[in-house]
Amino acid sequence: MKTVLLGLIIPILILIVWEYFAVKVDNTSLLPRVEAVFDRLAHPFTNLLDTGSFVHHILVSATRVLLGFLLAVIIGVPLGLLVGRILLFHRLFSPIIEILRPLCPIAWIPFAMAIFKTYTIADIFGLHYTTNIFGQIQLGMLFVIFYGGFFPIFLNTVHGVKSVKSLYIESALLLGANQRDIFKKIILPSSAPAILTGLRVGLGISWMVIIAAEMLPGSDAGIGYLIMFSYELAEMDILIASMILIGAVGAVLSYGVKVIADRTGRWQARER
Amino acid sequence: MGFVEVEAVKKIFYGEKKEVVALDNLYLTVNEGEFLCIVGPTGCGKTSLLRLIAGLEKPSAGKILIADKMVDGISRDVTLVFQQYSLFPWRNVLNNVAFGLEMKGMQKSERYDYARGLIELMGLTGFENAYPYELSGGMQQRIAIARALAYNSKVLLLDEPFGALDERTRHRLQEQLLEIWEREKKTIIFVTHNIDEAIFLATRVLIMRDRPGRIEKEVKVNLKKPRDRRSREFLQLHIKIREILETILTESGGNNV
Ligand SMILES: Nc1ncnc2c1ncn2[C@@H]1O[C@H](COP(=O)(O)OP(=O)(O)OP(=O)(O)O)[C@@H](O)[C@H]1O
Ligand SMILES: [Mg+2]
Repeated sequence: MKTVLLGLIIPILILIVWEYFAVKVDNTSLLPRVEAVFDRLAHPFTNLLDTGSFVHHILVSATRVLLGFLLAVIIGVPLGLLVGRILLFHRLFSPIIEILRPLCPIAWIPFAMAIFKTYTIADIFGLHYTTNIFGQIQLGMLFVIFYGGFFPIFLNTVHGVKSVKSLYIESALLLGANQRDIFKKIILPSSAPAILTGLRVGLGISWMVIIAAEMLPGSDAGIGYLIMFSYELAEMDILIASMILIGAVGAVLSYGVKVIADRTGRWQARER
Repeated sequence: MGFVEVEAVKKIFYGEKKEVVALDNLYLTVNEGEFLCIVGPTGCGKTSLLRLIAGLEKPSAGKILIADKMVDGISRDVTLVFQQYSLFPWRNVLNNVAFGLEMKGMQKSERYDYARGLIELMGLTGFENAYPYELSGGMQQRIAIARALAYNSKVLLLDEPFGALDERTRHRLQEQLLEIWEREKKTIIFVTHNIDEAIFLATRVLIMRDRPGRIEKEVKVNLKKPRDRRSREFLQLHIKIREILETILTESGGNNV
C-alpha cells in the first residue's frame, strides 16, 4: 500500500503542474484542462470526431499489434532455438541478423508502405471493401510490428538456449534422455525465463512501433491515427487522452507478460 | 575379466595455451558388484576418470569396457552423480528424482511412488515439492543421489557425494548406501577425499597419484560389516592409506591437499 502511494506522488505532481499551466494559458487547443482530458477518458465508448470511440481505436491497434507480435513469436522463438543450438544455423543467420538489427523498425515504415501499399489482410483473402476488422489490418503495419518484436524475442531466445548449463544436459543424458527429451525437458524449461523476457520486451516494442506506423496514411482507425487526426483538428484533449491510453495499455500488456514470466522464472530468480 | 575395464587410458585436455595430461597409462579393473573407492590428491584426475567411464569424454588413448562392450558415449548401464550441484532448478524434488523414470516412460503415479521411497531413504520426506534453491547443499546432493538411484543403472559412479555433509548425516548415508549396494548388487565407483569414508564403504580402495594421474596403490578392505571405525584393523588401514597419500604429496611438491 505504501509503495502504491509513493508511486502516485509524481503523477499527481504532474497533474497539478499541468492544471496550473492550463489555467494560465487558457487555450484549449494548446493545453486543455485536466478535467477536459479525463472527461474524454471517462466516456470511452463515445464516437470521437466521427471516427469511432477510444475503445474502437484501441481494439484496432491492439489487434494489429497482437497479430504482428504473434508472427514475431512464431518465427522468432523457433529460429532462436535453432540458432542457439545448431552451429550451422548460427553461422547461416548471425551475419544477416547483425546487419538488420541496428535498423530501427521506424526506418522500415516508408519501405513497408511502398511495398505493401495499403493492402490489408482482407485483401489477401479477397474480401475487398469489407467492414470487418481484417479490413483494418494493413500488411505494411504488420510487417513493421513484426520487425520490432522479432529481434528482442529472437535474441533473448538465442541467449537463453546458449546459457543452458552443460551440467544439466549431461545429467539428463546420464539419466536416459534422448535428444528430443533434452530439447523438451532441459533446453526449453531452462531457457523459458529468457524467452519470456524476450516476449515482454518484444511486445513493448511492437506496441511502441504501431503508434508510429499508424501515423502514416492508409488507415482511418487505430489510436495512432486518432492522435494525428485530433492534432489536425486541434483537439488537444483527445490527443492527450489518447497518449494516456497508449501508455496505460502498454503498461497492462507488459505487466501481463511479466506475471507469467515471473511465475515461470521463479527458480531462476532465486537460484544461488 | 572385470565388469568395468580401463586399459592403458590416457586423457589429454587441450587448453588455450598448454595441454594437460590428466591421466596417463591408467589401468583399472572393477568386478561386478564391487564397491570401489578412489582417493587421491586434488586435481589428480578422479573426476576425469569417472567422466571417461560414464562416456562423457573419449580417452585420448587406450580403451574402456563395460560388460565386455567398448564404452562409446553414454550408455544405459552407467550413471554418475556429479561433484557439483546438478539438480534441475526448474523441477521440484519429486520431479528431479523421477526424471530418469520419466525418461523410461514410466507412468506418473508409479514413478512418483518410487521417487517418494527414495526421498524417504535419503531422509528428506516432506521436501517433495521444494525446489532445489530451497535446499541446503547437502540436501541437494542427497536428492541427486536419489535421482541416480531411481535410474537404477548397473554401474553407479559417485564423485565426492558426501563432501558437503556433517559427520552424522554422512555416516547415516554411508550406511544407507551400503544397504542399497548389497540389496541391488550394484557396481559402485566412489570418489572421496575422506579416508575414513573409503575404508568404511569399500571392498577395495585405490589411491591415485597426480601429474599425470594414474593408480598408485591398491588396498583391499577385508573387514566384516558393519565396520567399526574405532577397531584396530580399521585404524591400521587408515594409517596405511594416509602414509601412501602423504608420500604422493611430498613427491609432487606437497602444496596441494
Ligand atoms: N575440461 C578440461 N579442460 C582442461 N583441463 C581439464 C579439464 N578437466 C580437467 N582438467 C584438468 O585435468 C586435471 C584433473 O582434473 P580432475 O577434475 O579430474 O581432478 P580431480 O581429481 O577430480 O580433482 P578434485 O579432487 O579437486 O575434484 C586437472 O589438472 C584439471 O585442471
Ligand atoms: Mg573432482
